[in-house]
Amino acid sequence: MPKAFDITNPPFDRLTPSEAETLRAALDIGYFSPGEAIIRRDVPAEALYVVIKGIVEERNEADLLALLGPKDTFDSRALVHDHSGHQFLARDETLCYVIPRKVALDLIKANPRFAAFFYREISRKLDELANDEETGRYGSLMHAKVGELFLHPPVFLAASDTIEAAGHLMREINSNALFVRDGERIGIVTGMNLSKAVVLRRQSIQTPVGALANFDIVSLRRDDFVSSALLLMTKHNKRRLAVRDGAELIGILEEIDLLGFLAGSAQVTAGRIDRASSQQDLATAAREIETQTRVLRRQGVKVEVIAEIVSDLNRRLLSRLFEMIAPAELRTSSCLIVMGSEGRGEQTIRTDQDNGLVLAGPMQGEILEAFRQEFFVALQSFGFPPCPGDIMVRNPQWSRPLSDYLADLRRWIVLPDQAGHMNVAIVYDAQAIAGNEQLLNDAKTALIDMTRGEQAFMAHFARAVDAFETPIGLFNNLITSEGTGDALDLKKGGIFPIVHGVRSLALEQGLRETSTDKRISRLCDLGVLQRDFGRDLKQAFRFLLMLRLDGQLAASAGASGTLVRPAQLSSMERHLLRDALQVVKKLREIVGHHFKLGVF
Amino acid sequence: MLPRAIKRLLHQATLSDQSYRFMFDRAPDDEFVVIDCETTGLNVRTDDVVAIAAIKIRGNRILTSARFEAIVHPDSELEAEAIKIHRLRRSDVEASPIVWKVLPGFLHFIGPRPLIGYYVDFDIAMLDKYILPLVGIELPNERIEVSRLYYERKYGNAPPNTPVDLSFAAILHDLRIPSLGQHDAFNDALMTAMMFLQLRDLTRRGVRIARQRASPVFNQFGG
Repeated sequence: MPKAFDITNPPFDRLTPSEAETLRAALDIGYFSPGEAIIRRDVPAEALYVVIKGIVEERNEADLLALLGPKDTFDSRALVHDHSGHQFLARDETLCYVIPRKVALDLIKANPRFAAFFYREISRKLDELANDEETGRYGSLMHAKVGELFLHPPVFLAASDTIEAAGHLMREINSNALFVRDGERIGIVTGMNLSKAVVLRRQSIQTPVGALANFDIVSLRRDDFVSSALLLMTKHNKRRLAVRDGAELIGILEEIDLLGFLAGSAQVTAGRIDRASSQQDLATAAREIETQTRVLRRQGVKVEVIAEIVSDLNRRLLSRLFEMIAPAELRTSSCLIVMGSEGRGEQTIRTDQDNGLVLAGPMQGEILEAFRQEFFVALQSFGFPPCPGDIMVRNPQWSRPLSDYLADLRRWIVLPDQAGHMNVAIVYDAQAIAGNEQLLNDAKTALIDMTRGEQAFMAHFARAVDAFETPIGLFNNLITSEGTGDALDLKKGGIFPIVHGVRSLALEQGLRETSTDKRISRLCDLGVLQRDFGRDLKQAFRFLLMLRLDGQLAASAGASGTLVRPAQLSSMERHLLRDALQVVKKLREIVGHHFKLGVF
Repeated sequence: MLPRAIKRLLHQATLSDQSYRFMFDRAPDDEFVVIDCETTGLNVRTDDVVAIAAIKIRGNRILTSARFEAIVHPDSELEAEAIKIHRLRRSDVEASPIVWKVLPGFLHFIGPRPLIGYYVDFDIAMLDKYILPLVGIELPNERIEVSRLYYERKYGNAPPNTPVDLSFAAILHDLRIPSLGQHDAFNDALMTAMMFLQLRDLTRRGVRIARQRASPVFNQFGG
């Protein structure tokens, strides 16, 4: 009985203890010399293998499809479905656990959760497995740290300051609680303390706050657990806690924000945006969006729902900002649009400024220029970095009259180049956020009319699906360098080919949907994609978005988050990633065949 | 000391229990047994065996599904030091059979197959201490020493004065075999089996294990 066999390694973590014992008792270990076939093509596998050490290549006729490393399990297809058509070769000196076919099949029959791993369709597999994976990933919300919560800034008053001064300060910093310093003592005074003093006790607004403040404050450290905060509030019957970093007070935690965090409070943020009366208010709300993403992910909310919520919040934010700063004439005679992933509603974390303005007609330069600049600066101050491609309202190329856009679209389609293709794609994905929506509608209608029947253009346009190779070859470095080497670029290798392949098919059909998910549904309805494949494609896409989101959350500050290091994924995630990339490959073939890309 | 071949002949004659004659049969093709014993100490005369593990190898397969594992009751006191190493508590050992009881099963398990081990001579000497009085022979099996296979692959062509490290950890590291947790007879035997298969394959293919240079080629801090 190899005690060392890791029963927590998926899918074996789904076995009951007695099933696990049965499995362990039946295990052998195989050694394979470099180049040796572990599973031959079109021969039913006699066993299920789990890599102990070494690297295993999965190949079809000519192509290397994937590289498997320690803890990876192969091959469910060869085991359950007799002919896999794939071959598995040891790349270097390889040791594998060998689970006899009969033992594996018996376990599959006895245990439906274990069996899910062996489904043929990735869509079913992801449905069953991805959720399991998610729940374990972050642990409960209660294990979040206090520092992750929304904290009110630590602003200090002297005990001798007046109620009036306190009231103004609270309004200024948009907080309901302030620290009060009285010699060595530190207390907290709240808006409610002020109101009671003035309204109920008819005290003068010149009364010093020292007399109202509560000096019996309870504090905790920023790296304490959220659960401790909840306990302290309950135990001491407090509505707010002081948060320290070492000896320094760094903020005030309000009960409402703690409860909001635990309950998930996208609606709180949405409300904050809608009620915002200043750019300062919007900036506060903007900061919360990323926290929201993290919380939603932790709660196990599906990635497509997170994307929807985050896109909605971002759009509200932009729309509110537009209302605040756009001059009246602009509000009725222009349309604010978001483009790229923001337009498709596939953004899960705050991104670059990808926005533009469609004007009904020419407009006076100065007013427009002032708006462009102010809008850009405000977004930047909210933490939206400038778009590297300069696709922003600030750039006159992306804030001009509809007629100019139409002229350009025509040029991009008649004389296409790479930038032209990109611009067509950008406009096709755009969504109206504020102002006169009809302007964008007109632009899109024109775009769809112009491309209808333009087979040569469509073929060139679709070709970008092959711009980046499926990144399977990278796995080798990744596994052997244990996460220090190159990483897999999810965006280039998986997300972009899906987005663009689907976009190409959608544009050809003249669809008006912008999200990839909805476009896939419509393409299935129209019979362009087979329904089964459509389902697989959606699931694969969601899975890739989820991996990207996790990367982004992990990288949080700075890094792009589109890089994934397979060595850091769980073996289950690697297994699903392998399946998802197979779907990407198939989509490329479908798109290639559809647009006859073979002629290039 | 008698050469082993002569000893083998002698033992065929001295075999007291004829039912163990199979120990002198021809071994099945391409089958081996990896053995490992945990002991109370390193002195063959005064120390005792507390655990025995044996795993068969057939071809390139390690047959962990068919294995021999026994915890035995030693004659001498289990020293505190040995308890620390093997994590076998005195109570574990006291509940188990004394070594004589498990030996017949062990001998039938290994049969005439070559025995593989890490410092296998020590394990065999330990076992012979009990086997000789029991059946009148010492283990006649061919012995394969993994540290020796490793030495040949790594240091066989080394210039004189090359520092040599034959530790278990060094072999694991060079062969990139994950450590399964040492000082458990079964895990030690299993890792030894993995070492054997890989070293045998390297030998067949004529592949050597790279040696680190013992001293830097140039002094990177020097002028």
